[in-house]
Amino acid sequence: MRKEKQTLSARLTWKRYRVFYIMLLPIVAYFIVFSYYPVYLGVVSSFQESKLMGGGVFVGLENYQGVFSNPLYFQALVNSLIVGIGNFVVQFVAGLLLALALNEAFSRQFRSMVQSVAYLPDLFSWAIVGSMWMKILAPTGMANGVLRLLSPDSFMPIVFMAESKFARTIMILTSGWKGTGYYAVLFLAAIVSIDPSIYEAAAIDGASRLRQIREVTLNNIVPTMKVVIVLGTMGLLRNFDQIFVMQNSNIINKVRNLLFQIYTDGILKFKIGTATAAATLVLLATMLISVIIRRITRYDETYND
Amino acid sequence: MKRSGKLRGNLLSPSQQVVNTAFLLLIFLIMAVPMWNVIVISTSSTVDASSAGLKLWWKSFSFEGYEWILRVAKVDRAFFNSMFVSSVSTVIQVALSALAGYILIQRGLPYKNLITSFILFTMMVPGDLTLISIYQLNRQMHLINTYSGLILNGLISGFSILMMRSYFLSTPNSLAESARIDGAGELRIFARIYLPLSAPGLATIFFLEFVKKWNSLTIPAAIISDQKMFTLPLMLKSLVVEANSSTPNAPDNAVMAAIVISTIPLLAIYVFAQQFLMSGITLGSSKE
Repeated sequence: MRKEKQTLSARLTWKRYRVFYIMLLPIVAYFIVFSYYPVYLGVVSSFQESKLMGGGVFVGLENYQGVFSNPLYFQALVNSLIVGIGNFVVQFVAGLLLALALNEAFSRQFRSMVQSVAYLPDLFSWAIVGSMWMKILAPTGMANGVLRLLSPDSFMPIVFMAESKFARTIMILTSGWKGTGYYAVLFLAAIVSIDPSIYEAAAIDGASRLRQIREVTLNNIVPTMKVVIVLGTMGLLRNFDQIFVMQNSNIINKVRNLLFQIYTDGILKFKIGTATAAATLVLLATMLISVIIRRITRYDETYND
Repeated sequence: MKRSGKLRGNLLSPSQQVVNTAFLLLIFLIMAVPMWNVIVISTSSTVDASSAGLKLWWKSFSFEGYEWILRVAKVDRAFFNSMFVSSVSTVIQVALSALAGYILIQRGLPYKNLITSFILFTMMVPGDLTLISIYQLNRQMHLINTYSGLILNGLISGFSILMMRSYFLSTPNSLAESARIDGAGELRIFARIYLPLSAPGLATIFFLEFVKKWNSLTIPAAIISDQKMFTLPLMLKSLVVEANSSTPNAPDNAVMAAIVISTIPLLAIYVFAQQFLMSGITLGSSKE
């Protein structure tokens, strides 16, 4: 009797939800083909020597040894970290300062004018931002135009994009140009949602505005800072587009990063084994970094309540 | 958005206000001047565009750059490709995300948690890290140099599904319950109650995903080599990379013109759909 009831209710559940499972099928199929299968394929290929006509021979850890013995990958790791951390720090600090300044702006119109223009580059692809700055930094570009104005007598145009000593700085500053507004929007959203009565209480206690910014504003946006840090570190090793667009043979040794090296090896040189081994390592590293950062910032504790 | 009160202690002192305004003006100039430079160069003659100088005002106003980019680089083709691929895939993406998001809010749905984890996991593996396998997959499926390839890769994202889910969760359940009592089917409830009430959510995802697709470079770069299939980012990149023998070097005004053309839909979205974009951005950075 009881069993019958159970099967009956199971049948009813199935009847009610059948349509959902049917609708889910194409979505699940999509994820299996375009998300899960590539991960599987990548891991499998990283243990194989690939053949042009498909199929592969198991070679154990040979591809991984190939990654570690290739100095280009080590160089790419160093560049990824320097440029990646530089990008993040500049965007974070500039974004925070901008958000604080915007919140104190003397008029609403002025504030929204600055904010709109500052946010705009976040909407642009690296193809847009990269080519624009490459033209600005070219010998006949605006940057050299400014230098000529500053010292008209001893002016010699600098080919900024061909000087390896400027390469990383250019990457970091252009990505600051692109990302500062985005970070400012995130911080500002947190700032404007702070309860005004906290400021009023501080003012009654005689705290100056600067002190209120330090003690009320900054303290109250710590959770947002943590989110931004976690998101930023997850993207740390993944800065492909910028380098893909802005690199050239003169500066490549200073800016070649892991994803760019993986792309070069895997897609341009068909060294699938090495490239997928490196990609698997980067994937693991990204996950590891994100776990560590979550621990350090106590990210999950802040939010899982 | 209420500014903190007008208490006297809640304002910067006049001298601090001057410093603050100067800082904001400086940021404004740093952001705006390069963009202005792009506009001026794009509408300058080829000779003026490639001669040295600040180029913040016109010596000669001309559309030579736009003509070059249309005649030599066939920017209309790339614009069409970008527009077609972005529109089609974004519409499909919004529809499927809404559907999946709706399924994920069904209270009694068996295996719901399993399905949610299945979707969450896809968000942990960034597409650019599986680029090589994605290239191989596309080759196996004959998607190289096709519109289908450009549309299918990244067609559904866990992010938009979860965003739709949270929009639906904020829709009062009582409406759906009363419709259910009246005998309405699940799909009808979805179409008649949830979709109209979540229109802002649908718009947010539409614009966010459109921008993402319009700007996407990594996967198109891997699967597209045929110039006829170039999207705008690919075309732009091919214009500025080190000179290759097959195409003539693009003059500066043409590159800047291509940049201006690439930004038009983005600017349109920014001007007309700003509130959706901004709510999406702040949502994306906050955990539920």
